[in-house]
Amino acid sequence: MAGYNRNVPQTSQTIRVQVLFFGRLKEIAGLSEESAELHGDASIASLFAQYATRYPQLLEYRSSVVASRNREFAAWATPLHTGDEVAFLPPVSGG
Amino acid sequence: MPATSSDIVRLAREPIDAQALVAHVRGAGDGAIVVFDGFVRDHSKNRRTLYLEYEAYEVMALAKMREIATHLHDNFAIDGVAMAHRLGRLEIGETSILIVVSGAHRAATFDACRYAIDTLKRTVPIWKKEYFEDGSVWADGEVPPVPAATPPAETAS
Repeated sequence: MAGYNRNVPQTSQTIRVQVLFFGRLKEIAGLSEESAELHGDASIASLFAQYATRYPQLLEYRSSVVASRNREFAAWATPLHTGDEVAFLPPVSGG
Repeated sequence: MPATSSDIVRLAREPIDAQALVAHVRGAGDGAIVVFDGFVRDHSKNRRTLYLEYEAYEVMALAKMREIATHLHDNFAIDGVAMAHRLGRLEIGETSILIVVSGAHRAATFDACRYAIDTLKRTVPIWKKEYFEDGSVWADGEVPPVPAATPPAETAS
C-alpha cells in the first residue's frame, strides 16, 4: 500500500475509490490510474487535496481542473463512496 | 426521438473512413447530409506542427458523444448521426474528428452538425498534445461545464 495512506485508519469509516488522471495531470502525477483509500467523509475536493500533497504541481492547475464521478462531471463537494470512479480532467481539447 | 440504434459513435485508432460513414447515414427519406471533417493542420500559433497525439477517457468520452447524438435527435429535425474521433498519433492532414448528420432538409442538418462539433469540443474528455520541432505542449482546452452542486442524495420515489 502506498505510504501516503498510512495515516488513514483501517476502520469501517474508510472508503476505497478508483482514481484516474489524464493529459497534463497524468504526467504530473506520473500515474494514470490507481486505487485510493480515504476517510469515509471524503469528497472529490479532499481527494484532490490528498494528491496535491504528494504532487504539489497539481495545485498550479487546480482552477482549470474539473472532476468526474462515475463518468459524469461532478462538483468538488461531491461526497465519495466505496467503488466510485473519480477522474481529474484538464481542459478538454478534442475535435 | 432518442438516438437510434443505427447511429455510429466511436473512437478510432485507425484512419476514419469518411465515405463509409456518409453512406451509413444516407437514408431514402433524406435530402441532405452535412459533414464536419476536422483534420490536423501543419501549424499552431506560428509554430510548425510535426504531428499530434490524442488521448481520451474512453468510456466517458463515448458516453458524452452518445449524449450529443441523443440531443441532436431530440432537438433537430434530423435522421442519422455518425461521429468518430481518432486517438493516438495523427499526422498532418489526417482527420481527427468526423461528424456526419443526415436529414430531410439542409437547415436542421447544418444546425445539428454545428451543435455537435461545438459541444464535443467543450464537453467530451479528449486531449490533444501538439508536437513541434523543439518540444510538445498540451493544447489549450476548454473547461467543461460542471453541475454547480451535488445532486441530492438518493431518495425514495
